[in-house]
Amino acid sequence: MEAFLPVGFLFIFALLLCIGLFTVKRLLGPRNPIASKLSVYECGVAPEGNARAPFKTHFYLIAVLFLLFDVEAAFFFPWALVYKESLAQGPALLIAMLVYMGFLVLGLVYIFRKDCLRLN
Amino acid sequence: MEWTDLIVIAVKTAIIYLGMVQVVPIMLIVERRGAAFIQDRPGPNRVGPFGLFQPIADVIKMMMKEVISPRQVNKALYLLGPFLVLLPASLIVAALPFGDFFTLFDKSYMIQIANLDVGILYVLAIGSLGIYGILFGGWASNNKFSLIGAMRATSQIISYEIPLGLAACGAVLSYGSFSLREMVMAQEGTLLGALPHWGIFYQPLGFLLFFIAAFAETNRLPFDLPETEAELVAGFHTEYGPMDFGTFFMAEYMNMATMSALMVSIYFGGWHLPWISDATLLEGLGSRNLLALLQVLTVIVKISFFMLVFVWVRWTIPRFRFDQLMRLAWKNLIPLGLINLVITALIFYFKGAI
Amino acid sequence: MREGLFIAFSLFTIAAASGVVLSKNPVYSAFSLILSFFGLSGLYLLWGSTFMAMIQILIYTGAIVVLFVFVVMLLNLQVIRENSPNLLFVGVVSATVWFFSLIILRVLTRAIPTNVTEIPTNQLRTISKLLFTRYLWPFEVLSLFLLVMIVAIFAITRAQEISHGGEKV
Repeated sequence: MEAFLPVGFLFIFALLLCIGLFTVKRLLGPRNPIASKLSVYECGVAPEGNARAPFKTHFYLIAVLFLLFDVEAAFFFPWALVYKESLAQGPALLIAMLVYMGFLVLGLVYIFRKDCLRLN
Repeated sequence: MEWTDLIVIAVKTAIIYLGMVQVVPIMLIVERRGAAFIQDRPGPNRVGPFGLFQPIADVIKMMMKEVISPRQVNKALYLLGPFLVLLPASLIVAALPFGDFFTLFDKSYMIQIANLDVGILYVLAIGSLGIYGILFGGWASNNKFSLIGAMRATSQIISYEIPLGLAACGAVLSYGSFSLREMVMAQEGTLLGALPHWGIFYQPLGFLLFFIAAFAETNRLPFDLPETEAELVAGFHTEYGPMDFGTFFMAEYMNMATMSALMVSIYFGGWHLPWISDATLLEGLGSRNLLALLQVLTVIVKISFFMLVFVWVRWTIPRFRFDQLMRLAWKNLIPLGLINLVITALIFYFKGAI
Repeated sequence: MREGLFIAFSLFTIAAASGVVLSKNPVYSAFSLILSFFGLSGLYLLWGSTFMAMIQILIYTGAIVVLFVFVVMLLNLQVIRENSPNLLFVGVVSATVWFFSLIILRVLTRAIPTNVTEIPTNQLRTISKLLFTRYLWPFEVLSLFLLVMIVAIFAITRAQEISHGGEKV
C-alpha cells in the first residue's frame, strides 16, 4: 500500500496539468461563435440522419471476445510468476497450463473456423 | 517515513513527470524534421536556429486559437474526453524505472516514482484506460466520423492489448517477477561471454510481439486507423478544438515514450550499459550520484532510439486496412503470443532455470 | 490516515455507484461505473491486496465496461424517459433482499472475514501458488466455461444477424 503513495502524488500533478491546460484554453482562446461554426462537421455537407445510429454486431463481437481473452490472459500472469520456482516439484504447473491453454486454443480455432470476426 | 522523505519523494515525482512531459515539445520538432528528412525536404527551419523553437510557436498558436464546442455535443463528456486520455498516459509513468538509486542527505532514493510489486500489471491496467477518453470523446461529439473513429480505435486497442499482455507474460515467465525494477536488475552483465545480458535474447519473439502491439496501442502509423485522414476526417477528434487536439497529441507522445521505456526496461537492459556491471562502473566513477546520472542518461539514450524508430516507421510503412489490422491481431499475434509462452515454458522445463 | 482513506474511498465508491443507478443517460451510467470500480480498487489497495486491485482495473474497468459501453452504443439506447415506478420497485425489492441475505449469510456462516489485517507479506506468490494447488480444478473448469461462452456468444449474434436479414459489416 505504501508503495502506491507516490502514485497519489503523480495523480495530483497530472490533475494539475489537466486543470492548467483547461484554464489556458478557456482564458486565451478568443470566442466568436456563429451558427455554422457550431454545427456538425461533415465536410460542409448538411448532415443526414442521426450520428448515433445503431451499430453493427461486428464491434460487439470484438469486445466480447476481448473480454473473454483478457480474463484468460489475466490467469497467465500468476502462473508465469511462480512457474520457474515450481519446476523443482515436477511438471504439475506446466501440465495445468497446457490443459488451460488447450481450451483457449480450441476457442481460437472455433473463432477462425466459423469466421466470427469476418477475417477472411 | 519522515516528512523530509515525503518532500523528496514529491519533488522526485514532479521532476520525473515533468521530464516525461518534455517529450512532447521535443518530439514535435523531431517528428517534423524527421518527416522532412525522410521525404527529402527542409522541414520547419525558420523559427530559431535550425527551427528549434518551432514547438514553442506551435504551442502558442494552439493556445491562441478560437475555442469551439459544437452545439450537438454532450457537454460534460466532450470536455472530459481529452483529459481522460491524458490522465492514464501520465499515471503509467509511475512504474517506469529510470535508474537505480541516488543519495541525498545520506539517504538513498529510487530513481523511479514507485517501485510497485505489481509493476507490469499496473502498466497494463492503467494503459487499458486510455480508450475511455477516445470512446467517450468520440461518442459525445455526436458526429458520424467521430463515432466510427472511436469504435475503430477501441476495437484496435483492445485487440492489440491481448498480444501485448501475452508478450509481457512471457517476460514475467523469464524473470519470475512483476516488478519492472527487478526485471532491469536481472539484465546486468554479459550473456554467453559475448552478448549483453538483455531480455531480448531470452524473449526475441516476445519483443517482436510487444513492438508491434506498442505501435497499435499508441495509434501510430501503420496502425493509425482511428484517424485515417483520407476517410474519417480526423477520426475521434474531428469535433475537437486546437487545445483539445493538443491534449490528445500530448497523450499520444507520452504513450509513445512510455512504450519505449517499457521496451527498454523489459528487453534492452534498462539503465545498464551493455556488458559492464554496475559494480565496475561504481568503482570507476567513485560516486553513487555520478553513477545515477550515467544510468539516467543511458535510459534516455535508449528511449530516444525507440522514439526515433517510431518516427522512422511512421514515414516509411503505409497504413493497414481495418480487416488486415484485425486479422494481424487475432490470427497472427495472439497465436504467436501463446506459442511464445509454451516455448519459453518448455525451455525452462527441459533446461532447468537458466 | 488509514481510516480516513477508507472512508474517502468508500464514500467515493458509493457516490459513483449511485451515479450508475440515478443517471438517465446509459453512457453516463457507464462512466460512473468506471469511477466506482476505481473506488473499489482503491479499497483493495488499502487492504494491501495490490494484485486484486490491478486485476479489478484490468478486467472490470478495462474490459467489462468497454463491453457495456459498446452494447449501449450498439443498441443506441436513448435517454431513459422517466423513472418508471415499476423499475424503482424492482430495484428497491432486490436491494432489500440482497441486504438481508447478506446478514443471514453472516449469521449462518463465518464466511465473511472480519479481520482483514492479515495479508501475507508475499501475497502475489501466495495467491499464485494457491491458485495452482488448492484451486486447480476451479481454474481448469473456468477455461472450459470460457470456451462455452465463446461458442454461445457467437451462436447468439449469428442467429440475431440472420433474423435481421444478414446485414454485412
